[in-house]
Amino acid sequence: MADKKCTSCNAPLAEEGATKFGCPSCGAEIKRCYRCREQSIPYICTKCGFTGP
Amino acid sequence: MTQVTEMEIELKEPLVPVEDYLAAGVHIGTQQKSEDMKKFIYRVRGDGLYILDIRETDGRIKTAAKFLSQYEPPNILVVTSRQYGQYPAKKFADTIGAMSATGRFIPGLLTNPVLEGYIEPEVIVVTDPIGDAQVIHEAVQCGIPVVALCDTNNMTKFVDFVIPTNNKGRKALSMIYFLLTREMLRHRGISTALTPEDFETDI
Repeated sequence: MADKKCTSCNAPLAEEGATKFGCPSCGAEIKRCYRCREQSIPYICTKCGFTGP
Repeated sequence: MTQVTEMEIELKEPLVPVEDYLAAGVHIGTQQKSEDMKKFIYRVRGDGLYILDIRETDGRIKTAAKFLSQYEPPNILVVTSRQYGQYPAKKFADTIGAMSATGRFIPGLLTNPVLEGYIEPEVIVVTDPIGDAQVIHEAVQCGIPVVALCDTNNMTKFVDFVIPTNNKGRKALSMIYFLLTREMLRHRGISTALTPEDFETDI
């Protein structure tokens, strides 16, 4: 996962606690780093515009 | 000045009529609100209870079903430590073919391969981020996405998908799990004769 970047903050997903999943709305890949998950930073799907969490 | 009530809410293609949502108390929140859940709150009642926007709840259930359908059912783990959530969560898991962990969550179930009953799910559904903090902690360690039923007082820390709902009421939890089940089965092309009452238990 080290070569991937967080959808919210563009930080590399090197550390433990990062995750990736399909956009709940369209299935496009969403990546979230540990910090964005911890601070509940919103993510926006680049394909469909879905805003989470 | 006229008082705005949730009775006036109109839903576009709702999963169940608005009256059914209101009767189950899905919209009833708590007397506390968190910053994270502010966007899902519709109004504050005279007695201080925050009311959730059922339009958001309805839309999120549809999206959650779509999201969970991306995974193979045996790779989904449904967790609840809350008494009222145990029966509907188990019923939901059994119906769609997912794993369930109700009652006390044994620490290490996701992180300790030596532990009997060790499992490796791909996505986790929790009923209450406060009560199910242990499983969320382990999901973070494993990099597993978390779907959570969140009330107005919940923080959405480490939650990847929020379903705003009353997660304390017996009927509300039954309704939410019933709708999730029905929607997930619909995505698979299966129709069901289940009703919200089938997800309710007397205790």
